[in-house]
Amino acid sequence: MTVMEISNLKKSYTPGKLAVNDVSLSIQQGESLGLVGESGCGKSTLARCLLGVEKIDGGSIIYNNTPLANANRKEFRDYRRNVQTVFQNPTAALNPKLKIKDSLLDPYLQFQRELELEHFTFSSKQGFVEQLLEVVELPKELGDRYPHELSGGQKQRVTIARAISIEPKLIILDEPTASLDVLSQGAVLELLASLQKTLGMSYLFISHDLAAVYQLCQRIAVMKDGELLDIFQKEDIYDYSRHAYTKELISIF
Amino acid sequence: MSVMAFSPKKIKKAKLWLISALLLVVLAAVAYTFLYLKHAATMTDVGNRLASPSWEHPMGTDHLGRDVMTRLLLGFRLTVGYSMIALLAAVIIGVPFGLLAGLRGGWVDRLFMRIADGFLAFPDTVIAIVLSGLLGPGIGNLLFAIVLVKWVNYARMVRSTVLTEVQKDYITIARINGLSAFTIMRKHLMPHIIGNVLVLASLDFGKIILLISSLSYIGLGAQPPTPEWGAMLNESRPYFQANPEMMIYPGLAIVVVVLVANILGDYLRDKFDVKKEVQP
Amino acid sequence: MILSINDLTVSHGEKTIVDRVSLTIDKGEWFALVGQSGSGKTMLSQAIGQLLGPNLRASGSVSYQGSNILEHPKTEMNQLRGKAISYIFQDYHGSFTPFLTIQQHMEEYLQTHGVKEKKKRKNMIKEAFESVGLDVPLVKRYPFQLSGGQLQRASIALALLLEPDILIADEATTALDSVSAHRILSLLQELQQKTGCAILFITHDWRHVARYADKIAVMKDGKIIESGSKQKLIHQPEHAYTKQLIQAAPTLPMRIKEASKS
Repeated sequence: MTVMEISNLKKSYTPGKLAVNDVSLSIQQGESLGLVGESGCGKSTLARCLLGVEKIDGGSIIYNNTPLANANRKEFRDYRRNVQTVFQNPTAALNPKLKIKDSLLDPYLQFQRELELEHFTFSSKQGFVEQLLEVVELPKELGDRYPHELSGGQKQRVTIARAISIEPKLIILDEPTASLDVLSQGAVLELLASLQKTLGMSYLFISHDLAAVYQLCQRIAVMKDGELLDIFQKEDIYDYSRHAYTKELISIF
Repeated sequence: MSVMAFSPKKIKKAKLWLISALLLVVLAAVAYTFLYLKHAATMTDVGNRLASPSWEHPMGTDHLGRDVMTRLLLGFRLTVGYSMIALLAAVIIGVPFGLLAGLRGGWVDRLFMRIADGFLAFPDTVIAIVLSGLLGPGIGNLLFAIVLVKWVNYARMVRSTVLTEVQKDYITIARINGLSAFTIMRKHLMPHIIGNVLVLASLDFGKIILLISSLSYIGLGAQPPTPEWGAMLNESRPYFQANPEMMIYPGLAIVVVVLVANILGDYLRDKFDVKKEVQP
Repeated sequence: MILSINDLTVSHGEKTIVDRVSLTIDKGEWFALVGQSGSGKTMLSQAIGQLLGPNLRASGSVSYQGSNILEHPKTEMNQLRGKAISYIFQDYHGSFTPFLTIQQHMEEYLQTHGVKEKKKRKNMIKEAFESVGLDVPLVKRYPFQLSGGQLQRASIALALLLEPDILIADEATTALDSVSAHRILSLLQELQQKTGCAILFITHDWRHVARYADKIAVMKDGKIIESGSKQKLIHQPEHAYTKQLIQAAPTLPMRIKEASKS
């Protein structure tokens, strides 16, 4: 079942130059779709468009049979509830003035009336926070700490916990391991894989690291200069039909 | 004595003790004025003017025979009270303006900035004097003038805080998490704003006290017989030669309170800025 | 042997950041120093060029051409830096003064090191840019007008201008995406073969090491826990930490890779 259908998406920041140029993708339920490219290829711009943070200049994003551009308030709210994100820099992603538990509760408190959670139960704020911390393998005392007291890897786990707290259908991860040291990177990738097994959400995993994408994803898309050049199942990565640029990327790893 | 004896931690602790001690003394004095006043502040006794300290009058009497200590303590309530009023008014007016300008942007923001520029073109003391002069002497007019010049600082600071934070990832994510603009402001921006406002306010507090006292001293603020310290300084001027202590008491009082306010401001700044922002 | 480091210790007050490190870098060799942040690798690289901050103390010896450069006076060190020992850093923006063009940087650099004729400098700059694959007209641009990859190339051009014996690259590719990093690394390798300079390459990413290094040393908590030739460290790592680092970096499956190359 398709979670999101992206058709001919276009986005431009400066007139005459398209940051995202006619990109079409579909994301299936429960799958991990990887999106690989150099910096400046438009993958982060694409992510921001999909998250509803940027207005698109052409094409459509269709969720639940409704194009995002035409969504009414309720439909947009439903979209927000089911599409969450993890950003590259975990320090910037947490409000330094708020305790971890307050940041963690943000999505839940917003949607609590409409939510029917399968994996988490809400009996109290404290209990909910503890469940979240446990599922990302962090000690529950961390809830009362401030972000600056945590390491980079720990903070990123917190942002992941926040994203999964409302059991969205899709999580868009934009370079989630790029700011972490090499040992934390591996641990976070493993965590993401195991979370997907338990919770069943889809991932759009954006990265410049083809090997990391290969580890986590079943399908891989390749972007360059705003265009989608190639998209394939991971087993077919060495197939001769791969785009020249894909082959170039492979040779690097 | 080695410099290591005064480590930052020790200095911080010392500051804390100093503030606490002074605050205690001050609170005791204020409580005294509410609970037990031997002499009314305006009770004149010209026969006993300029008396030396005695049990009756621990600080002596002024040129009209009024008990100096009573007036001093009452003056504390007035000086601090007036300053708090001015400060609160400036904050209550400034913060919403800053929020509006920062969050709305566009023409609202531009309009606000031009207004702010206008107010900031003049130094606060000058405006306070001019306005007082125009509106006539009196503490009410002085406070009005002070609020008029001070609110802009808070508005600008709030606006700048909002503009800085709103660009950051965690705010974008808050929007993606479904938070409304109001919730973002309340939950995410307010902690930043309150911290900054408190620091600015505590530093301003000392400045406002000085402004009120100075202008009262030159006759533009509190008028006699109000026992405001600046006014007391003014009244004591002709008697400085023979009875210098009449000027020294209120003068010293002003110095001590402003000092405490500044130390408090320092302490608050340390508490709000360093620990909770990015680190080592 | 170009550079020999013996029992180098860097300390900050009571705290030891680099703990009696010894290693030898040979002429023309790519020596990789691998470790996580906090392992002391950056301090080590800075100590070599006497670039440590005021609160840091270095002891031990760093032998270059027979003398211990740790004890060189400032003037001699200034001579050495650039001519004999050059650096490129992770923060390619911070490596340049924002209000000088790249050309001005290079001119100043050359003049400081005694290249007096204008024409000679112009030629050297032109050649340097060409050797790193940058269009020569870009030399007139300001740092903010170049991309990350371009700036890092400009850093390399600058560092290699005077043909140093050893180039110290401190996390030079960490802030770049994989493709740009790969290009920079290939470029460095190419230049190394052309000029014969040694490279001390500091990184936390094992994958870079595996491809380009001749010798590898693994650093943790200020100490070198394992070192040796690339072959040895990759195929027979001894220390558990080394193995951890090797496993941490995701790689594409090797077997099928070989097939695709045919």
